[in-house]
Amino acid sequence: MLPVQAPGVYAGGANVIAVLILLVEFGMFRQALLRDQVRLYASQSALIAVLAVLVGAVRHLPELYVLAAATVALKVVAIPLVLRRLLRETGPAGAPAAGADIAGSGGLGLASTVLIAIVVAAFGFFAAGALPISRSAAPVTALSVSLSVVLVAFVLMIQRQDVASQAIGLFSLENGISLAALVVAASLPLILEVALLFDLLLAVVVFGLLIRMHIGRAESLSTADLTSLRG
Amino acid sequence: MSILLPIPVVQLLQLVTIAGAAPGVSGVIARAEARLQGRRGPRVLQPYYDLAKLFRKEALAPEGASWVFLAAPVAAATCYLTVPLLIPVLTTYPLPLGYMGDILGGGFILALASFLVAVAALETGSPYAQLGASRAKTFAAITEPVVLFVVFTVALLTGTDLPYALAATVRSSAGQIIRPAHVLAAAALFMVILSETARIPVETHTGTNEFGMIEEARPFEHSGPYFALLRWGSAAKQLILYTILINVFVAPWGLAATRQAGAVLVAMIALPAKACVLGAVVAVIDSSFAKLRLFKITEFASAAFLLAVLGVFTLYLGGG
Repeated sequence: MLPVQAPGVYAGGANVIAVLILLVEFGMFRQALLRDQVRLYASQSALIAVLAVLVGAVRHLPELYVLAAATVALKVVAIPLVLRRLLRETGPAGAPAAGADIAGSGGLGLASTVLIAIVVAAFGFFAAGALPISRSAAPVTALSVSLSVVLVAFVLMIQRQDVASQAIGLFSLENGISLAALVVAASLPLILEVALLFDLLLAVVVFGLLIRMHIGRAESLSTADLTSLRG
Repeated sequence: MSILLPIPVVQLLQLVTIAGAAPGVSGVIARAEARLQGRRGPRVLQPYYDLAKLFRKEALAPEGASWVFLAAPVAAATCYLTVPLLIPVLTTYPLPLGYMGDILGGGFILALASFLVAVAALETGSPYAQLGASRAKTFAAITEPVVLFVVFTVALLTGTDLPYALAATVRSSAGQIIRPAHVLAAAALFMVILSETARIPVETHTGTNEFGMIEEARPFEHSGPYFALLRWGSAAKQLILYTILINVFVAPWGLAATRQAGAVLVAMIALPAKACVLGAVVAVIDSSFAKLRLFKITEFASAAFLLAVLGVFTLYLGGG
C-alpha cells in the first residue's frame, strides 16, 4: 500500500486550522457554563479570522484581511458581548445570570454524545469526499471538515435542551459555512461576505430577544417546558 | 571520533539507555512537579536510591500466593526490556532486531507485561491490588481503540507500520509535520500516554489515596527486589512510551545516522534530555488540572478517540 502524499505546508496549515475549528465545536459539548460556551464560540471565530489571514497571504487576496478584521470585530468581540449583556440583563426576576449552569441540559451522556457526533462528522466527511472536486481547486479536507462542523453544530442544537446552547449552536453553524466559503470561494466579493456577517448580527439580535422572552415567560433557559404547547 | 560500534553493541546500548535513564526521568518529573507546587521536592537521583534500597531488602510473599506472584515482576521487567529493541531509541536506521515486531507488536508486549502484573495482583488476595489491576485492565481496554486508530494513521501515512518508517517520514519534510493527521495522531497518543503512565487527569502519580488508584495500586503486596523490579519496570515503560512519542512522532532529531561512537553517544544523551522536556510538560499538566472522577475517565478516553478518528478521516480525504 502506498503512503498518502503530504499536502504541502499551506494546505496542511489550512487543514490543521479547519480541524481545530471542528475540535472547538466538539468542545462545546463539554462546556457546563454558558459563559464558557460563549468563550469557545469567540475562539472558534478567532480561528476563522486566522484562516482568512492565512488564505489571504498565500493567495494574495488583500480583501481577506478586511474580512478577517470584520470577523474579529463582529464575531470575536461584538456578538459574545451582546450575548452576555442580553443574558445578564434578564435580571432580577430570579432568572439565571450569564454564568448560568447549562450542564444538565444534555439529553445524553457526554461520551455517547461525542460518539454520535463522530458518526455524524464521518457522514459529513465522506459526503464531501464524494463530491467531484479536484484537489487542485480547493483543500478538500478543509471543505469536508466545514461540512462536519455544520452537522456537529446540528447535533449540539438537537442534544442540548436550553435556548442559549441552541443559539450558540446556530452561530457556530454559521462559522462552519464561513469556513467552507473561505476554502472554496476565497475570492468571493467582499461586499457579499460583509452582508453575510451583518445577516448574522441580525440573527443574534433576534435570538437574543427570543432568549429574553423565553426566560421572562418560563424563568429558565430550558426548552423542556415548550413541549406542553403541542396541540 | 570515528570508532565504529558493532551493530549488536548499538542494540545493547538501546537497552542500557532506557533502563539506565528511566528512573532519572521519573526523578526529574517528580522534582519539576514539586517546584511547580512550591515544594522543594526530592533529589533528581532519588529513584535510584530507592531502587538500591529496595534491592537490598528481603522479599516477602503473601500466604497462599503461588510462584506466579514472584515470577511476574521478573517476566514483566523482561517485557519492558524487549520493547526498546523494536523502536528507534538511538538510531535513524533500523537495527536488525527492529524487524522483530511493528508498533502493534510493541503494544502487545507492553500489554503482556501489564497482564502479568495484574495476574500477580490477583494472586495476592489483597483487595487494593486487585482493585487496581481490575481498573487498569478496564481503562486499558477503553484506550485500546485510540491506539489502534493511531496505528491506522501511521499505516496510512507511511504504507507500513514500522516505527522507523514514520520517523523517517516525519524528518522528510515540513509538510509531513503540519498535516492534520500527524498532529491529531500525536495528540491522541500523548493523551493515551498520560493515561498509561498514571498521570493527571487520570490518576495522581504520587497519591496515597487508595480509592483513586489505578496503576499504582497493583504492586501493593510486593516487596524487596520484586517491588524494585516493578517500580523500575513502570519507570522504563514511561520512558519507552515517551521515546515512541518523541523519536517517532514529535521530534525524531538528534538520533545517530551512523554507527560512529560519537553520534551514538550524542543520541544517548539527547534522548533523556528530550524526555525530560516532555516530562516537564507532563509536570505542568499534572499541576494545572484536577484528577478526573473515575467514571469521567471515559470522557477523557473519548476525547482521545475523537482526535485519533479525525486523523484517519482527514487522511481519507485530500491526503490531510
